[in-house]
Amino acid sequence: MRKKMRQRTGVIREYDMHSVSVRVWYAVIYALCIVMGIIAVFPLIWVVLAGFKDLKEFMSSTSLLPKSFSPEQFKKTWSQLGLAKNYLNSFISVAGSVVCALLFNGLLGYGLSILKPKGCGIVKKLVMLSLLVPATISIVPLFMNIQRLGMGNSFLPLWLSYGANAMYVVLFIQFFESLPVSMIEASRIDGCSALQTFFRIVLPLSKPICAVITIFAVNAAWSDFLLPYLVLRGGQLQTVMVRLFVFSTEQTVNADTMMRSVVFSMIPPIILFILFQKQLTENNVSVGIKG
Amino acid sequence: MKKISFVFVLMMAVCMLFTACGGKNGDDTEAAQPTEAPQISEDLGNELDSFSDEVIDADLTCTITLGNWPPDTAAASELALFEGYKATMEKQYPNVTLVPDYYSYSLSNYVPMAKGGTAPSIFQPPFTDPQLLISQNLVGDVTDALKEIGVLDKFSPSYIEMLADDNGRIYGLPRDGYVLGMHINVALFREAGLVDENGLPIYPKSLQELAEYGQIIREKTDKAGLVFPASETYGGWLFTNIAWNFGCVGESALEYQDENGRWICNFTSPECIAAMEYMRDLRWKYDILNADTTTTDWAGAHSELGTGEAAMNFAADDSVDQPTSNKGLALEDFALIPFPEGPAGRYALAGGTCYMFSPDITADQGRALMAYLKILGKLPFLDDDIVAGMRSDYAAKKDRGAPVLPAISAWNDDEYNKTKRAIIDEYCNVDMRLYNDFFDSISEGTITLKAEEPVFAQQLYRELTAVIQRMITREGADVVKALTSAQESFQEYLDDEINN
Amino acid sequence: MNRITRHFRGKGMKMQDLRSWLIMLPGLILMTFFVWEPLLESIRMSLYKTENVELVEFVGLKNFISVAGKTNFTQALVNTFSYTFWSLVIGFLLPIILAMLIGETSRGKGLFRTAAYLPNMLPGLAVIILWSAFFSGGKTGVLNIILSHFGVSAQTYLTKANLVIPIIITIATWKGAGATALIYMAGMAGVNSELYDAAAIDGANVWQRVRHVLVPAIKKLTWTMLILQIISVFQIMYEPMVLTKGGPDNASLSLMQLMWQYAFGGSMDYGKASAVAVIVTAILLVMTAVYSYFNRKESDWD
Repeated sequence: MRKKMRQRTGVIREYDMHSVSVRVWYAVIYALCIVMGIIAVFPLIWVVLAGFKDLKEFMSSTSLLPKSFSPEQFKKTWSQLGLAKNYLNSFISVAGSVVCALLFNGLLGYGLSILKPKGCGIVKKLVMLSLLVPATISIVPLFMNIQRLGMGNSFLPLWLSYGANAMYVVLFIQFFESLPVSMIEASRIDGCSALQTFFRIVLPLSKPICAVITIFAVNAAWSDFLLPYLVLRGGQLQTVMVRLFVFSTEQTVNADTMMRSVVFSMIPPIILFILFQKQLTENNVSVGIKG
Repeated sequence: MKKISFVFVLMMAVCMLFTACGGKNGDDTEAAQPTEAPQISEDLGNELDSFSDEVIDADLTCTITLGNWPPDTAAASELALFEGYKATMEKQYPNVTLVPDYYSYSLSNYVPMAKGGTAPSIFQPPFTDPQLLISQNLVGDVTDALKEIGVLDKFSPSYIEMLADDNGRIYGLPRDGYVLGMHINVALFREAGLVDENGLPIYPKSLQELAEYGQIIREKTDKAGLVFPASETYGGWLFTNIAWNFGCVGESALEYQDENGRWICNFTSPECIAAMEYMRDLRWKYDILNADTTTTDWAGAHSELGTGEAAMNFAADDSVDQPTSNKGLALEDFALIPFPEGPAGRYALAGGTCYMFSPDITADQGRALMAYLKILGKLPFLDDDIVAGMRSDYAAKKDRGAPVLPAISAWNDDEYNKTKRAIIDEYCNVDMRLYNDFFDSISEGTITLKAEEPVFAQQLYRELTAVIQRMITREGADVVKALTSAQESFQEYLDDEINN
Repeated sequence: MNRITRHFRGKGMKMQDLRSWLIMLPGLILMTFFVWEPLLESIRMSLYKTENVELVEFVGLKNFISVAGKTNFTQALVNTFSYTFWSLVIGFLLPIILAMLIGETSRGKGLFRTAAYLPNMLPGLAVIILWSAFFSGGKTGVLNIILSHFGVSAQTYLTKANLVIPIIITIATWKGAGATALIYMAGMAGVNSELYDAAAIDGANVWQRVRHVLVPAIKKLTWTMLILQIISVFQIMYEPMVLTKGGPDNASLSLMQLMWQYAFGGSMDYGKASAVAVIVTAILLVMTAVYSYFNRKESDWD
């Protein structure tokens, strides 16, 4: 049995397993991990189950399981609320946000870490400082600016707002600084301009960080609702999360429908998670948040 | 050179991004019109045909944007109705361009739009907001347009007060009014034995009876007697009505202006204290409230009543579709009763929604907007089109399975009101015995209608809601202390906002 | 790095710098528009009496005095610190413990990591709405259903003033703890396992190895995570906004929520909203200053 186990990296070593008390503790550790896993996953399973209930059942049933597993309720909610349109809006919003996040933050990070023109130190400090400022804190004046420029009820300000993310800039800076100097130099000697170097050498070398930022930006843009709520208001461009926020504040949908909307709002992030769980749970997260 | 050209390409790309989006916006405005032909049920189609197609004014040329346009996701019958209004308007005024806007009003989203010049020409705020909007010059004047169309003198005076400035200029029109009463789940009353020989509910006439009946229901059915949505500002709103019935009017009013014109708030009158003690007792003495009172909101309260988790809910006649067609309570299990009287009064809060207009409307736009409202049947006119409009409105309601009830008129026009009632009776789909006491109490004047507290009502509700929350979440909370602190806080607010 | 810089600058300093600035320009414009200018604007707005979005009159610190003098501000301030306190109690050690536990497993480790990280991917708003059903009172609340199997009668949760903040923090912890644990795991993975072996040879038992090898190794990271957590909890806003609307009796009202209330909650007082925003920013800056004072030596920047 123990032979099959992989090489341990933890505090408890192979030879500790000879001790009965350590083995008991080891079992306890596993038990706790399993409990943790259940706690992490149970609410998700519950909300899907709850989605099968109608309002009457949702309000009065004391059973966690629904009476029937017919997908009828989900279909009804989907078509009644016209969520397909909100999904499409969300996808458009996310796509533009990712492009902006990579392009603008990447270029800024490139400038601050590799080009380093005269006087960029102050910009770098400003970017660092912005890390500490919560985005929502200046939401009022930001919203005013957007209105003044007539960009209300459009995706444009939402897309561009992802091009001004201090955290992503810092991630880019950190990564670019670790790039092999020789390759960038070689490109310069070959006569590439700074911008060509960025697109031909730096970006291709930066696939890992681009992947991380893409995942972060997709998830953030999908989940975002405060600025989108103010910008997109009651219009036709509402994203899934704006819709959900409107539901929760304007009290227009029933509790059961709300739970199904929650399920629908979680599907894309979960798919993203399933596709990229390796990147997310192994090496890259640490890069992500430490910045 | 090569390098510079690269920078240029990048800049161009950025510019393209901007312009591309600009173009897209344009498309969206057009796409905003529902593209799918809405389904019109057959009898509804006939109703719509009776609209007059004659051109009334071909010279009137302007564009108006129509807020609160039903979203694509609204019921097909509702969409069809508005498409019908639009078509009629376009025939009668061929040079008026109508742009549907899905905008739904809230104070927070409206103000920046009005400032930025992007407010829709017409939108629908609740009656709590017009005075604030008028005082800040955020809405358009329609006095002349109203005079022109001939309805200026038919305004109910209370509405004139709400919708005009100090000089008597009018900025809004009532859309619909409501009167607060109580929704009842008759099925639970039946289960608790609270029905007479005709099967009609024996309902509480007074707040004291409400508490007692609530207890009976709790005992017999194990459901909440009363659902009280005490979240955010909603609890305070309902509480003002209870407080009036305890005598918080006149000299003991919750807010009043002293001889120097200073606004004073008074939460610590014996009447107000008694009312708040009543709230506390509902939880701790009678224990008839629903479980999560402090997080229950408007929709939650209707859900509790509609799904049979609570027997009574303070709510108005304009939301009868909520527990019924929306939450699934059968029409025969639902009743609307007058607001229970208190030890010192019998008041019912009256309010509603109005139409208001963007601050930059021109005289032509004003004319076009009045014409549009006329087609909607919101002005007191009795031509065939209006009657047809009403009919289609009620037919749509019936179609949805919502109760079709007499509406409380915002116009002082007997003939208009009578005709309207006759049409409603035609479409009525409920046992009016479950509603008569409510409407009779209003028409017979056995209940006094009262508008919301005059200034900064939302803030007042917020303060009072916090006190109510304290009362029903802490056993033995000190009523006087909590009210005193709320009074201080709201007085400070009043001093900041208007007393200077 | 310096070498590249020198190389780029080699052919004519000014032209090169100008081009570099041009490359950064779009990003700079966006940062200005979306981050820096609004921040300065809110400081300016906090000093003015506002009528809608217009600054009508310079009033100095009047907004601050008026805002800070109100009982709801005091309460929001206390609550915000209470959020921070509870987040440290509930949510600070948990990720470290989780990281240690998962780190010790061998079989199924990937599965545990995945499970731990999953909640972090879910939209925050959806999470709050989902959990509101868990903590709803009456017999149909999920927690009550579960407790009823253990013979506990139905409780209410969100109506209890002393429970709401811990509940909101619990939800936030459910969402974030796993992801934080993975960061700690990355930190722990930095410990060469030979160190454990060496300690074991010196006679250290498992617990001693944890104390003397593992814990010191993540000390610096822990310190960083602490300040990050405090900063992020201090900005808590939409969670109470959606779950309790600040209630009962303002028991869960946070500072940022108060800001939102001033701005979008009906009174449209952008001046006062900005004053609250500035106060929050100031508190955060002080905290950060304290942090960087203690952390100065190890600063990686510049």
